[in-house]
Amino acid sequence: MSDPAFWHRLQFAFTITYHYLFPQLTMGLAWFLVYWKWKALRSGDERYNAAARFWARIFGLNFAVGVVTGIPMEFQFGTNWAGFSKYAGAVIGQTLAMEGMFAFLLESAFIGALVWGEQRLGPRLHFLAALGVATGSWLSGYFILVTNAFMQHPVGHAVSADGTLVFADVRAYLLNEWALIQFAHNQAAALVTGTFAVTAVGAFYALRGVHQDQARLYLRHGTLAGVVAAVLVAFPTGDAQAKIVARYQGPALAAMEGRFESGPMADITLIGQPNVKERRLDNPIRVPGMLSFLAFGTFHSDVPGLDAFPPETWPTNIELLYYAFHVMAGLGTIFIGMMALATLQQLRGRLDSSRGLLWVLMLAFPFPFIANTAGWMTAELGRQPWLIYGLFRTDQGYSEVVSPGTVLFTIIGSAGLYFVLGLLYLYLVGRELLHGPADALTGPQGPAFPVSAGPPSIHG
Amino acid sequence: MVEIWFALLCFTIIVFVVLDGWDIGAGALHLIVAKSQTERREVIAAIGPLWSWHEVWLVAAGGTFLLAFPAIMAAAFSGFYLALWMVLWSFVLRGISIEVSGHFPDRMWQTFWDFVFAMSNLLLAVLFGAALGNVIRGVPVNETGTFSMALFTDFTARGQAGILDWYTLSVAVFAPLLLAAHGATYLRLKTTGPVHDRSDRLARAFWVITLVLFPVVSIATWLVRPDLYQSMAVRPVAWVFVVVMAAGTWALWDGFRRPAEMRAFIGSCAVIVGLLGAAAASVFPEFLHSTLSPEYSLTAYDGAASGRGLAIALVWWPVAAGLAVCYFVVIARKFAGKVRVSQDTQGSY
Repeated sequence: MSDPAFWHRLQFAFTITYHYLFPQLTMGLAWFLVYWKWKALRSGDERYNAAARFWARIFGLNFAVGVVTGIPMEFQFGTNWAGFSKYAGAVIGQTLAMEGMFAFLLESAFIGALVWGEQRLGPRLHFLAALGVATGSWLSGYFILVTNAFMQHPVGHAVSADGTLVFADVRAYLLNEWALIQFAHNQAAALVTGTFAVTAVGAFYALRGVHQDQARLYLRHGTLAGVVAAVLVAFPTGDAQAKIVARYQGPALAAMEGRFESGPMADITLIGQPNVKERRLDNPIRVPGMLSFLAFGTFHSDVPGLDAFPPETWPTNIELLYYAFHVMAGLGTIFIGMMALATLQQLRGRLDSSRGLLWVLMLAFPFPFIANTAGWMTAELGRQPWLIYGLFRTDQGYSEVVSPGTVLFTIIGSAGLYFVLGLLYLYLVGRELLHGPADALTGPQGPAFPVSAGPPSIHG
Repeated sequence: MVEIWFALLCFTIIVFVVLDGWDIGAGALHLIVAKSQTERREVIAAIGPLWSWHEVWLVAAGGTFLLAFPAIMAAAFSGFYLALWMVLWSFVLRGISIEVSGHFPDRMWQTFWDFVFAMSNLLLAVLFGAALGNVIRGVPVNETGTFSMALFTDFTARGQAGILDWYTLSVAVFAPLLLAAHGATYLRLKTTGPVHDRSDRLARAFWVITLVLFPVVSIATWLVRPDLYQSMAVRPVAWVFVVVMAAGTWALWDGFRRPAEMRAFIGSCAVIVGLLGAAAASVFPEFLHSTLSPEYSLTAYDGAASGRGLAIALVWWPVAAGLAVCYFVVIARKFAGKVRVSQDTQGSY
């Protein structure tokens, strides 16, 4: 327990990693709901309403876990990172407050109406509720990414007399180059999660031979949106993200690639194990010159390795950063191939009968969650040892009045609670999936609440 | 500027307490006010589609606190570390039990989650009462501008006080009673049949208890912080809130006598606004009164963000608040009137 910063980091890492499993699906599914509600509104085709109703139930569960695991995130800035909050709160507080005031109040006003209120609202307002929730969830993503971008590449601030940061330039801060690129990359990746989920459920029903009509709809929309999103994650957004890391976070890029020595014609490593002690990669399989090309546009560009930077600016966990980046990039590449193939079969009208491919699509749904998580680990481990890049180090930021023993207490408590949440979520979503969209066709609320199914009173 | 942001932050917190207060109060009474499964669905539906919107006001308050008073937010949240985590865990349990209990109509499943729901709401009410008690009594802020508090020490309300002592405990008992009265008044407005009749009886009972205990808590406050009454006496803003509270009490009395359910409910909201508003106006400019020595107290003037940030935020913040009120009006109008269980619960199977 000798390093207090470690325990505060562990808690934040655990709670944010767990939390972000849910919003990525929320943000990915939200536009499916908007699209289906819109199609239903325009065409009057009940299939779209049924799809929206069925997915709104899963969306509602997902949203609920996202909300309850999200509230501790904001509060941890104060509870666990008091040093950071005191130093930079005047700046990052702007976007955290904007997130609450603009995004969450919009999202949460309409989520209940979206999930519960189709009858009360009527079709037009119900469509607007879906639109409000989708807009709110993406706005919230933007404000959080601006906050993170400030930590990655601080702009728009000034230093006050007592050494803390103050807010100076609202345009520079909100339109941080890093934020725009990271937002595009992250939202495309969230769409990948959503499209894979929709496709996987379509594949599941197609393979079982149930809910055929809905299955075809999910497969068609899932794969068509999926291939677009998967390509967007890599190009232009992922490419731009790599270039901006190369420009502003040299040591992070070197560590991501496991590049210990500088030089031109930099290789890209497909696989290999970083050996930091010996300063080399073990068992590497490389593509010559690719890294120079991808990072700076020509094969002859000089890409600095870790040796070009003082060791105190190296990321603190080079090995994990390297693997996180490679898992993300590898999975992202596989997603493009998988969705391209599925789309091809879809357009040829053969996806329904390609059972092998349907199996692959069904089993693929967890991997976008892994890729998104690995992507965030790349961003956050690459930022180390800084809390705000170049300005404020991570070991300056934690709450000194909170002992590591107390932090471990809340880590254990949260882990237990989140474990139960996870079980509940999987159980209830699984139950929805097995039940399927059949009775979503029968009316706005599905079947009426079956009061008769249970005894009238639990007490008597 | 500092005064404006102190007022906006207090406004956000008070909005949260009033809105989420009726959810918390109704939730804490859940097991008493509703007996059958259908009745319990009715209570959940009355809390309804906006519970997360209510809760978000606390998140908005957290962000606003950080933006306007970063040093105080940092000191307060890290100092109340364990208590705040208990609040967070209670929120997790509360939110999840609302969402999952109606998901399928199994008797044991719903009984379990209704119980979790009631207990987490009760715990939230107690913790918010303790929090208010701590802000009024003060906390052991030291010369570094930070504090670290045990959950309890010797219960004396002096010096190195704990989060719970005789005074904060008295507020922690008072708050759930007040919120239960508020929640029952809300349920009386939103429900029909047996739930309505029980809410009516419970609301009357809890308001009587609350109004009887109010002088007791006020005297306790005077024993702990006599200076607050002196500053209240010279601050006209505080008088306004006292008047709001008195008017709310009259509306309550009239609303239960006639009976006029909406009038009583508005009175209930006004009582809470008046109580918290008067407290905030008396506490200003101190955010965290130091129990160790007055010069260590953290005031709004010491802790406010410097630079242009507060002026910039004053442009967008009211716009966002205005938009939020618009969404609320749209949704609340659609869900106005009494709850209908057949329509307002999630379909389950």
